[in-house]
Amino acid sequence: MEAIWLYQFRLIVIGDSTVGKSCLIRRFTEGRFAQVSDPTVGVDFFSRLVEIEPGKRIKLQIWDTAGQERFRSITRAYYRNSVGGLLLFDITNRRSFQNVHEWLEETKVHVQPYQIVFVLVGHKCDLDTQRQVTRHEAEKLAAAYGMKYIETSARDAINVEKAFTDLTRDIYELVKRGEITIQEGWEGVKSGFVPNVVHSSEEVVKSERRCLC
Amino acid sequence: MSDKDDIETPLLTEAAPILEDGNCEPAKNSESVDQGAKPESKSEPVVSTRKRPETKPSSDLETSKVLPIQDNVSKDVPQTRWGYWGSWGKSILSSASATVATVGQGISNVIEKAETSLGIPSPSEISTEVKYVAGETNAKENENSSPVAGAFGVFSTISTAVQSTGKSVISGGLDALEFIGKKTMDVIAEGDPGFKRTKGLMNRNATLSQVLREAKEKEEIRTSNEVTMETDKKTHYGLLFDEFQGLSHLEALEMLSRESEIKVKSILNSLSGEELETLKVELEQLKEAFSLAEFCEEEEEEKKGDEDFTKDITELFSQLHVSSKPEKLARARNTAHEWIRKSLTKPLAENEEGEKQSEAENTEQVNKNSIEDIHAFAIRSLAELTACSIELFHKTAALVLHGRKQEVTAIERSQTLSQMAIVLCKELSSLSKEFTTCLTTAGVEEMADVLNPLITAVFLEASNSASYIQDAFQLLLPVLEISLIENKIESHRHELQGQKPLLEH
Repeated sequence: MEAIWLYQFRLIVIGDSTVGKSCLIRRFTEGRFAQVSDPTVGVDFFSRLVEIEPGKRIKLQIWDTAGQERFRSITRAYYRNSVGGLLLFDITNRRSFQNVHEWLEETKVHVQPYQIVFVLVGHKCDLDTQRQVTRHEAEKLAAAYGMKYIETSARDAINVEKAFTDLTRDIYELVKRGEITIQEGWEGVKSGFVPNVVHSSEEVVKSERRCLC
Repeated sequence: MSDKDDIETPLLTEAAPILEDGNCEPAKNSESVDQGAKPESKSEPVVSTRKRPETKPSSDLETSKVLPIQDNVSKDVPQTRWGYWGSWGKSILSSASATVATVGQGISNVIEKAETSLGIPSPSEISTEVKYVAGETNAKENENSSPVAGAFGVFSTISTAVQSTGKSVISGGLDALEFIGKKTMDVIAEGDPGFKRTKGLMNRNATLSQVLREAKEKEEIRTSNEVTMETDKKTHYGLLFDEFQGLSHLEALEMLSRESEIKVKSILNSLSGEELETLKVELEQLKEAFSLAEFCEEEEEEKKGDEDFTKDITELFSQLHVSSKPEKLARARNTAHEWIRKSLTKPLAENEEGEKQSEAENTEQVNKNSIEDIHAFAIRSLAELTACSIELFHKTAALVLHGRKQEVTAIERSQTLSQMAIVLCKELSSLSKEFTTCLTTAGVEEMADVLNPLITAVFLEASNSASYIQDAFQLLLPVLEISLIENKIESHRHELQGQKPLLEH
């Protein structure tokens, strides 16, 4: 456990039921792949530190949402406080790809007045023989919405790190440029803690107010 | 504060979804995200997001009354803490004292042993000493930067009060634990003038997760500023609890609870006459099931089998008829017990247990766990178990609200849940007993003032854990209320449809 990080980003993972959201997150946070897993109930929570530059760590809080329609009223509540999101579909399931539009519409309604930086993720790319969605059309759709596209496999650990860290980097750039700012009442980005050896314990109390640049 | 707002606002949005058809370029302008809101938040953005306002209008009164005590207590605790305390102090109190009581009996044997081997004065002698030392609390407060202070976790306020006296107190066994209980009660009672008329958990002005989050964040700041405190971090309950996602699940549960509460209120407001009365009676029954969850009975059979907890909890869960399973909790619990078992048997069986030594963690176990190791593992286990318990409650709430229809009534579910809360609290209590046995066994040669604070810390966090679980359990009440109401409306509608298909309800 390491409490020292520059920022904390909240990421939300959405997409149709059974596209592999929880498996992707578990691969990323726990380094494991579970052959069998129960459908997610409501929301689940994970976290991991990512080092985007030497010495610069970002804590990711990842919200895993249930794909099932019946939990939609719960999962919706989590859009607003997310700065980034992974929108998953299953490359072997055409329907899950077609629903990408709906997911984007849904988030758009519920995220206001904020916005989420999304990456489109074509999951289960290890099952290339059963592919129903070509890389080309997925890339086209992603581009239309200004998203990046990446294909991943939790089972074979393909691009899992990359999917999360690329998104984290992109958000970090936006934060650095001031295009995403830390705001009161919004949990998407929070400032972290940087070790400070010089302060005495008296000053530590005061330094809670310091601005982290 | 911010937590609450965040969560409530989406509710509103949901109620009146804003549909913008023409605007179809979502992430494209992610680069210009939030520009509208930027100017406002330029100054001190960090503070505002991370920390709740220090002064709350509602707690002004309390704070001023409380000031005299405040001087007594550790300086780094903001005033407002006292306000928060009161509002949920009731449950802490009942569980804390209950835990301490049960726990006390178990440990007294152990402590007696330790006492004789350490040449510690008898409990009665110590009790007198307690009063003495208690007077010195003030003087000692300022030196409280000892590494142990951090170990007390969330309840640093109380623990500081306890700690300085605790050193000499704890070896008194039961006496000491009672003392902690009383001290806790005093602190809570004094801190909250409205203590006696605390109506219920739902009236708190700060939610449990907010209090915990604040404590955790403060600890994060503290630890990040003190690079040397590696061990400190390992034993900070709040940080560990968050690491196991306990805080997130608690927040999620609070959100569901709050939504349900709002719904219940609006439905009750819309009803009148007989309909309202019958519903009220049923809701009252439901409430009863929740208030029975006091941690009162002492008839705890000594030392039940190891698998009983898993069996109990699994059985209770199946009675709930929700599709979630308590495996994670059981696993966490069994890991803790396994660790304790090894830690206790090792000194004797160290040589024979060759086959089991293959696991990685055993390499360090060969050199016998130090009391610091035991303490760290104990706090970690308590935090993990509590986080898992709260996760279960959260999942249960989600499934009660959105799961498939089940042939089990809300009242039956409440009774099961209430039993579950008791089983969980008992488990925490017995776990803490075992951990302190480990501590006393491993620390026979340690000085009392090294060992005792660690023992106190384990008991304290166990009792805190129990109160979190009870608070989380209480959060389920509105969820079951709305479930009861909705089932009723549903069946009512069926009846109407069956009998007089033309009548609209």
